[in-house]
Amino acid sequence: MKEDNGFFHPSFLIPHPWCLRGQGFMMLGALSPWADHVWRVALPAALGLVAVYLLLPRPRPMLRVAGIALAFLAVVAAGFVLLHTSGRPVYDTLFYFFAFVAVVSGGMLVTHRDPVHAALSFALVVLSTCGLFLIMAAPFLMAATIIVYAGAIIVTFLFVIMLAQQQGLSDADSRSREPFLTTVACFVLLPTLLYIILQTYDTGQPLQQVVARATRAQDEKFNTVPAVVEASGGAGLLEDYRKALLALRWTPNAEEYQNQVNGPVNNLKAQWAAGEKAGNVKTLKNILADVQANGTKVLEGYAKLTPPPGSQVSQLSVPSKELHLLYPGETVAPLGRSLFTDYLIAVELAGTLLLVATIGTIAIAGRRTEGLR
Amino acid sequence: MILYPAMLQNYLVVGAILFVLGMIGFLARRNLIIMFLSAEMMLQGVAVNLVAFAYYHGNMQGQAFTLFILTVAACEAGIALALILILFRSKRSLDVSLWQELREPGQEPTRDEEPLVPPPPALPLPRLTPAGIEPRPKEREESHV
Amino acid sequence: MSEIGTILWIIPILPLAAAVLIVFLGPRLLRGFSHVPCVLALAVSCVLSVYVLIHVARQPDELIHPTYYTWFAAGNIHIPVAFRADPLTAFMLAMVTFVGTFIAIFAAGYMHGDDGYPRFFAEVSLFVFSMTGLVLADNYMVLFAFWEGVGLCSYLLIGFWYEKPSAAHAARKAFLVTRIGDLGFILGIILLWITFGHNLDYEYVFTNAANVNRGALIAICFLLFSGAIGKSAQFPLHVWLPDAMEGPTPVSALIHAATMVTAGVYLVARSMPLYVLAPQVLLFVACIGTFTALLAAFIALTQTDLKRVLAYSTVSQLGYMFLGLGAAVYAQHSRLAVEAGMFHLFTHAFFKALLFLSAGSVMHAMGNVIDMRRFSGLRRVLPYTHIAFLCGAVALAAVPLTSGFWSKDAILTAAYNAAKEGHHYGAVFVLLFICAVITAGLTAFYTFRAYFMTFWGEERIPHEAGHHAHESPLIMVVPLMVLSVGALFAGYIDAEPFGLTWLGTFLEHVKHLPAMPTESVTATLLDRVWLLVVPLAMSLGGIAVAWLMYVRQPAWPGVVAARARALYELSWNKVHFDEIYNAFFVLPLWLFAQFCRIFDLGVVDSIVDVLGHVPRLIGGLFRPIQNGLVQFYALAMVLGLTVFLIALVNALAK
Repeated sequence: MKEDNGFFHPSFLIPHPWCLRGQGFMMLGALSPWADHVWRVALPAALGLVAVYLLLPRPRPMLRVAGIALAFLAVVAAGFVLLHTSGRPVYDTLFYFFAFVAVVSGGMLVTHRDPVHAALSFALVVLSTCGLFLIMAAPFLMAATIIVYAGAIIVTFLFVIMLAQQQGLSDADSRSREPFLTTVACFVLLPTLLYIILQTYDTGQPLQQVVARATRAQDEKFNTVPAVVEASGGAGLLEDYRKALLALRWTPNAEEYQNQVNGPVNNLKAQWAAGEKAGNVKTLKNILADVQANGTKVLEGYAKLTPPPGSQVSQLSVPSKELHLLYPGETVAPLGRSLFTDYLIAVELAGTLLLVATIGTIAIAGRRTEGLR
Repeated sequence: MILYPAMLQNYLVVGAILFVLGMIGFLARRNLIIMFLSAEMMLQGVAVNLVAFAYYHGNMQGQAFTLFILTVAACEAGIALALILILFRSKRSLDVSLWQELREPGQEPTRDEEPLVPPPPALPLPRLTPAGIEPRPKEREESHV
Repeated sequence: MSEIGTILWIIPILPLAAAVLIVFLGPRLLRGFSHVPCVLALAVSCVLSVYVLIHVARQPDELIHPTYYTWFAAGNIHIPVAFRADPLTAFMLAMVTFVGTFIAIFAAGYMHGDDGYPRFFAEVSLFVFSMTGLVLADNYMVLFAFWEGVGLCSYLLIGFWYEKPSAAHAARKAFLVTRIGDLGFILGIILLWITFGHNLDYEYVFTNAANVNRGALIAICFLLFSGAIGKSAQFPLHVWLPDAMEGPTPVSALIHAATMVTAGVYLVARSMPLYVLAPQVLLFVACIGTFTALLAAFIALTQTDLKRVLAYSTVSQLGYMFLGLGAAVYAQHSRLAVEAGMFHLFTHAFFKALLFLSAGSVMHAMGNVIDMRRFSGLRRVLPYTHIAFLCGAVALAAVPLTSGFWSKDAILTAAYNAAKEGHHYGAVFVLLFICAVITAGLTAFYTFRAYFMTFWGEERIPHEAGHHAHESPLIMVVPLMVLSVGALFAGYIDAEPFGLTWLGTFLEHVKHLPAMPTESVTATLLDRVWLLVVPLAMSLGGIAVAWLMYVRQPAWPGVVAARARALYELSWNKVHFDEIYNAFFVLPLWLFAQFCRIFDLGVVDSIVDVLGHVPRLIGGLFRPIQNGLVQFYALAMVLGLTVFLIALVNALAK
């Protein structure tokens, strides 16, 4: 209906002037007022802060049990408040499992006194992150990470710990440097980061739900006006639609954007009211279709953060299908092709870097028999 | 179906949490090895982020970049170990707080004030006697086996 | 520019060029010949001054005052550098350069072998430059500039042997005491500037003097005279001149007898058109002059240092000059007063310089001993010096027919005229006249006392003389002889009874003064008695008493001193002026200076130190951040990053 409406014109996708590159890369302009997300990030962060502070190694350990309990609480709270399900149970289960193990192992790495335990926790972190890689269609990376990190780096470090600290714990392991300040600093940084993430990526949720509802309400089984109204939510849906669109503001000029949004939506509302009064199901369904189509288009534009048209992405490296439709093994080939076409020079340089690092390591460490350097 | 930003957000949250935990470990722990492992955990968090974006965009850019990060992390591990080795040779300890020469001249070096809680005395390991002889019981000895 | 205008600026520039030359080439190149540029420059300046004198004498009414360039001009202030050649200037110029030349020649012999030989002649040349500039100046600001110049040169030359603490002290004293007078002088110039509409030219000031506020004019005249008090060593600022004898004797001769100290007299004479309109100040001038004359003569009676005697004599004679100038209280006698003052200045330059140079010759022969009690009977050892000193002494004592006689007579005539006028100030001038006459007697006495003590009696030579006790070399004797001729015969430029009135007629052409009265005031016989016989009697009587006391009856001085113990002590201790000034002025100021020093060190320096410590303390607060722990630094970075991120998010959320 409103294909050429200025609101839904593709220029909507032109990024804000102060985005540094690309198109619509960082939708930070779409930040809505504070308070929506603050409690969501503050709660887990506060819990985590206390937990980590209590658990960090110190000469006279105290309240470790409370710390552990709080840590679990924090992780669970974060899981509930910060994460979304995708509606695919296997996927979600795997994701939550790996994420949980990763975070808990990370906490253990940071708080274990014994360096050997910490190294082993790090191994767990790596394994769970690799699990995450696997469900994100990156099997090669999973394998590579396990081989390199868990296989080489961690083992080497374990060797070093064994050789260096044969008596087990040293004095330094039982102490922390500025635990309070460190914890506070990082657990202020964390909610900030989370807040930015939520602000950027969570704002599409309402519109998603509106579109979902509009789609659902167009189903054949709702063929009377009251049924349609009930299924969709009536004028309330249009109100949610308007709020969702407003939440997606990407210009700093709130007024102008509001006018852009309110105009068509008020039109739709008028039409809906008229249709409802006239008892015309077709009109209502048309309006819903309209909402669905435009909402989807916005979400598509919102979601489709493709690389800028100028960047050199060779055809070879584009996967044949969408990533989540590929089997894990099938994603290795596009990666390989991408490495050897788009990023060839980087690969060569990485190889050179490895060589240089090897030589450097040998040069720095030297031979033991030459004595202290 | 499009990977909506809500799904991406999950991974980004996990990545951010790993990153921050790694940062805490880097800043708070005094063992050089643990510090380095925490730094590696920060890199893991970043890798999660990158792969998530790759999945989100539907191309291989993020994964390729992660691969390079992996490479660099390996180099960094090697060189970090070499440096740790040298540092260890000087002070025979992996404590990073022993290296304070960069402080202002005239500053006192920072020393640990709080005394450690002494670990519980290690129980002696059981000793086996040569076969056939009944061991003479000792008062303090308790068996672990 | 006209020829005379060019000559006018060459006259001071030549000594300046000589000074610069000696400064740069003296120590290395010229050394023992450093006197050559100085003497040459002075000689040429003398010739040029005489030329100017002749030129002005031919056309005395022509006003020559060329402007050379503008010294500074900003807003209200506009000071041109302009010189003037009128009878007064030309007359003084010729005298200064003439006497200066011969003194320089004398000094070449006197200072022979001294380490600072080039420095001496550089400073002398500089002095002559300043003095000639002072005399030539056509406005008060240029006058003041050169006034300061002569003050500086006086300081440099008195403290010539600066390693000697007494010399350094004397130089400082001279400079500071004259500075007190100069303060009044500069205030006077400022008041002059304000009163006369921001114009300091002589022409302008003298022409409009009658039109300005009389009170302001009186203040101006008083303030200008205070400068003269300082520079010409009148009471109460006379204390520096006797101490200035620490300098080399040629310096005493040149500066403190002939030229610099006469700058004050010149100033008053030059400003006479202003002073005639402020007769109260002239009365003050005359009183100060007379009192100083009497005081100095009193002190000179008992001094044993030959140069000190001459110094007090200078102070006394300067007082005479001011008395002469002060007689212009009655405007119709102003020309006479100026003539009297300038005449005495002229002759005094000759005979006082001669006396100083003779004393220098004596010092040179006696191995730098100048205490008269240590030598006597030198007339056979130093014949030429003896003759020269005698010529100077008779001139100073105003023996008839010498120059001093004519000039002192002129002074007394002027005072007598003023006394005779009667109304207002006449009574005061009667008293002043009597004091002047008494002083004349004292002058003759102490002069010949010094003469007899030095040159008569048994021949005693102090052991410091060594092999020096012979007559001075020719280079020193010739100037003595020349100046002796001057001392004896210079007075004939204005010897009335002989009908020689060149100076009078010459100075008649000085502008802006009321005309001379047609008939002379001193006509009656009584006047003639007073004016001729009494001074004659005084001078001859003084000489006789001196001869009696120091030649015939050498025991009498001791008896008199014992009888008049109090007076003797007072005179011997210079009427305790130095001690009084020390107690009332120097000591409080010294205490204040100490307080200031303590305040400066204790309070101000402490404040500065505290201010200096503040950054250190603040730094000390922040320094512990650099504790060498890498993790601490990393933590600081993370904190900064966090703050930055929060700020960014805040900014973007708006």
